[in-house]
Amino acid sequence: MPTNKDDVYGDHISNSFNDELLALKTRFLKMGGLVETQIESALKALVDSDGYLAEEIRANDRMVDRMEMDIDEEAMLIIARRQPTARDLRLVISVIRMVADLERVGDEAKKIAKFAIKLTEEGQTPQGYGEIRHIGAHVMAMLHDSLDAFARLDSEQALRVMKEDKRVDEEYQAAARTLLTFMMEDARNISRCMSVMWVLRSLERVGDHACNIAENVIFMVKGEDVRHTPMEEAERVVGR
Amino acid sequence: MSTVSSTITNKMQAPDDKAMPVTEDKVMPVTEAKPEQTVLEEGVTVGTPFADDPKFKLRDVEVFYGETQAIKNISLDVARNEVIAFIGPSGCGKSTFLRCLNRMNDSIDSCRIKGSLLLDGQNIYDSKRDVVELRARVGMVFQKPNPFPKSIYDNVAYGPRIHGLANRKSDLDDIVENSLRKAGLWNEVKDRLDAMATGMSGGQQQRLCIARAIAVSPEVVLMDEPCSALDPIATARIEELITEMSESYTIVIVTHSMQQAARVSNRTAYFHMGHLVEVNDTSKVFTTPEHELTESYITGRFG
Amino acid sequence: MTDHTSQAELVRRSLKGRYRKERRFRAYGIVAIAIALAALVTLFTDIVGKGYTGFLKTTITLEVTMDPDLMYLDDPTDPKQVRMADFVAPLVAAVGRALPSATQDDQDALRRLINPYASSELRDALIENPEWMGTTRTMSFLAHSNVDVYVKHKGDAAYSIKLTDQQQAWVDDLRARELVETSFNDVFFTSGDSRDPAKAGVLGAIVGSLLTMIITLVLAFPIGVAAAIYLEEFAPRNKLTDFIEVNINNLAAVPSIIFGLLGLAIFINLFGMPRSVPVVGGLVLTLMTLPTIIISSRAAIKSVPPSVREAAEGIGASKMQVVLHHVLPLALPGMLTGSIIGMAQALGETAPLLLIGMVAFIVEVPEGLFDAATVLPVQVFLWAGSPELAFIERASAAIMVLLAFLMSMNALAIWLRKRLERRW
Repeated sequence: MPTNKDDVYGDHISNSFNDELLALKTRFLKMGGLVETQIESALKALVDSDGYLAEEIRANDRMVDRMEMDIDEEAMLIIARRQPTARDLRLVISVIRMVADLERVGDEAKKIAKFAIKLTEEGQTPQGYGEIRHIGAHVMAMLHDSLDAFARLDSEQALRVMKEDKRVDEEYQAAARTLLTFMMEDARNISRCMSVMWVLRSLERVGDHACNIAENVIFMVKGEDVRHTPMEEAERVVGR
Repeated sequence: MSTVSSTITNKMQAPDDKAMPVTEDKVMPVTEAKPEQTVLEEGVTVGTPFADDPKFKLRDVEVFYGETQAIKNISLDVARNEVIAFIGPSGCGKSTFLRCLNRMNDSIDSCRIKGSLLLDGQNIYDSKRDVVELRARVGMVFQKPNPFPKSIYDNVAYGPRIHGLANRKSDLDDIVENSLRKAGLWNEVKDRLDAMATGMSGGQQQRLCIARAIAVSPEVVLMDEPCSALDPIATARIEELITEMSESYTIVIVTHSMQQAARVSNRTAYFHMGHLVEVNDTSKVFTTPEHELTESYITGRFG
Repeated sequence: MTDHTSQAELVRRSLKGRYRKERRFRAYGIVAIAIALAALVTLFTDIVGKGYTGFLKTTITLEVTMDPDLMYLDDPTDPKQVRMADFVAPLVAAVGRALPSATQDDQDALRRLINPYASSELRDALIENPEWMGTTRTMSFLAHSNVDVYVKHKGDAAYSIKLTDQQQAWVDDLRARELVETSFNDVFFTSGDSRDPAKAGVLGAIVGSLLTMIITLVLAFPIGVAAAIYLEEFAPRNKLTDFIEVNINNLAAVPSIIFGLLGLAIFINLFGMPRSVPVVGGLVLTLMTLPTIIISSRAAIKSVPPSVREAAEGIGASKMQVVLHHVLPLALPGMLTGSIIGMAQALGETAPLLLIGMVAFIVEVPEGLFDAATVLPVQVFLWAGSPELAFIERASAAIMVLLAFLMSMNALAIWLRKRLERRW
């Protein structure tokens, strides 16, 4: 039984078209859920120094890749078979774009897991983990909100995600400065701090991807491309 | 999303149990209503129905068949050398409206037309205006390929002959050759111009009909679902031809194939139950239509 | 949901009944056609069986001596006297010579063996060739119609009652010596009607029919086609045209004799045209044929695909050009067939012509539209009503001629259709 929001894509004359679009959406959200878990687990593995969990994440990434390919194929089939237009076309195109973003988020999770293993092996006092926890929570919320905005076709929430990205960037800059002071204090920290820096960098990228997904949601709902446009323009589009 | 208030009837929804119950949706307001109660404000068209320096300037056009009103207060400009596609569900009035443009409705006794229809600023329906001259300027290609049961040559030469466009045989030969070349048919038929036109394939016949229409050098070519009886290859040829022709002719095409409208036209006009709901650039109509009805139609939600 | 196997079983069971019904229906059809064919075959055998003898004539070959004395001629060189001479005597003498058993008392019986018109044949021949006077020549003459039927229907008592036993014996004798012979009846095709069956022909009726048909064709076809085009293409749809349409359809069903009465009242009584002439016959048949032609022409026009009309209009052809260039050429085969069938009907029509006097006895072959004439079906009617036995076979022969005409007209219709019809 589709939710109310699905009726937007679920009222075609062709029922099988409805089913195909619904399946595409569901699969995408499933992949989103998986990627969210990956990031969450990666951060957990890092903070808890859980090498086993980190290995699991690296294994799970293959599943993410597989799902990306499946969704791409499905979207391609829909285009070939149904020649979707307007809203349906925008959904399919957005999903193709967003699925790439999700896959990159999955890659970032893998990267974080890699550093988690490395940091666990080095086994020293965690420095900068507070920043990681903070920014991690922030970007995870962003990712979740963007996926939620997609599920509910909520362009206003997507706009909020886009705005959050700016704050994540600021937080990242601040954290980078903090780590830089650590490195200046003690040269032995440099290697570890660099790893933490990479993790932060990954998290910042996750925020960017979440922002991309949000932009695509706005494109899906409003039909206007808000990528590479000033925030005021995006606000205008959503406010329409 | 649009300036026109509208209600979408249950009929327009997919007859789908899953789609029930009716929802209060921001994007598509769905309420309980009977099909007849679909309310569209008369004379309001979203998008860009008007153009600077139009070929056709059509204002407040209303068409009646006896008591029934087939066209409800439509205003539209057709720009010079553009390809404009009329789309919409069956019985929405797009063919009727097209036929008003060269007065093909004249032969229907019960048909009455109101409003102002100007071709280059002159009234099409002026009582003094000669319909023969109008049709020489506004040619037409029909749904079913309808060559005359004569030779290929005579088919193309017929128009120039009756309008006295060629005095010598050599002039006529030139017109026939040029028209057939423009229609992309010359190489296929140059060796058998005396063969019966009815013996050609459907796609060739339709291209012959286009050649016949352009042989009298019209300014506008009206096409009423020109590809609906043709196979995909023949359709592709005609579409290619339309694109080539758009350089020198103004083309108005009625089509049931939305993909075709998307492929060949510059602008698309969406008709719904006698109303002109939306006119916009084709690229806009097929990606981000302004009106919900347009969107519902082109995405296959009704029609 | 019905089980698939049981459903198939049900269908199979019902099949038998369905096939039985189909076979029965087909049998009805075959029986109907067989009855129709039998009737047709009976008709044709009867007509041909009775009529083929109409195409034969009986001649007697005699050695005629043109003896001026016998012909009561004082001066054989005077053409005036020759014209007035007695030509029966030499013929009777010649028959007498051919039959040695005949005595002087049998003169009358002998005379009745040869055709009454034989003497004028002899006279014409002699006037043509005056040098024959006094010579003896072998010549063939038409036999008397009584001899004619006797020879043709040998053994049928009904046909010999007009001849005495002695005459029959003589004819048999002459026939045995091949002096009495039957041959193709050229007289039948080269002369008009006559009181003497042996001299009666259908040429007059054929020419009369042709003249009448020409008038009908020349008038009915253009008027009918023009009316059809007007009604179909130009006439506004209103009460008046509806009324006209209904009346045309009704006229097609009016008995033809009514048209005869109309012709009598209008053309003869009102306009004072002569009776019995092909012009009036043609006019009456035109009136009778017009509804048929109009109806079939309208059907032919209606069957022209509207797409062709639209195509021509779309190029800018005027109404007139659409009709003349496209509708008419496409409708013409249908119009022609309809017209020819209407004409064939008119060709076989008797009743209206009886009323305008074309039933008169006319010997002369008509030479113009205003000459008194008769037509083939009326000729059949006249001969069929005649008491003389020899006319019965002439009537049947005339029917065959009429049928041949009708068939060739129908064949013409089919040929025209095939020829002019365009393939789509």
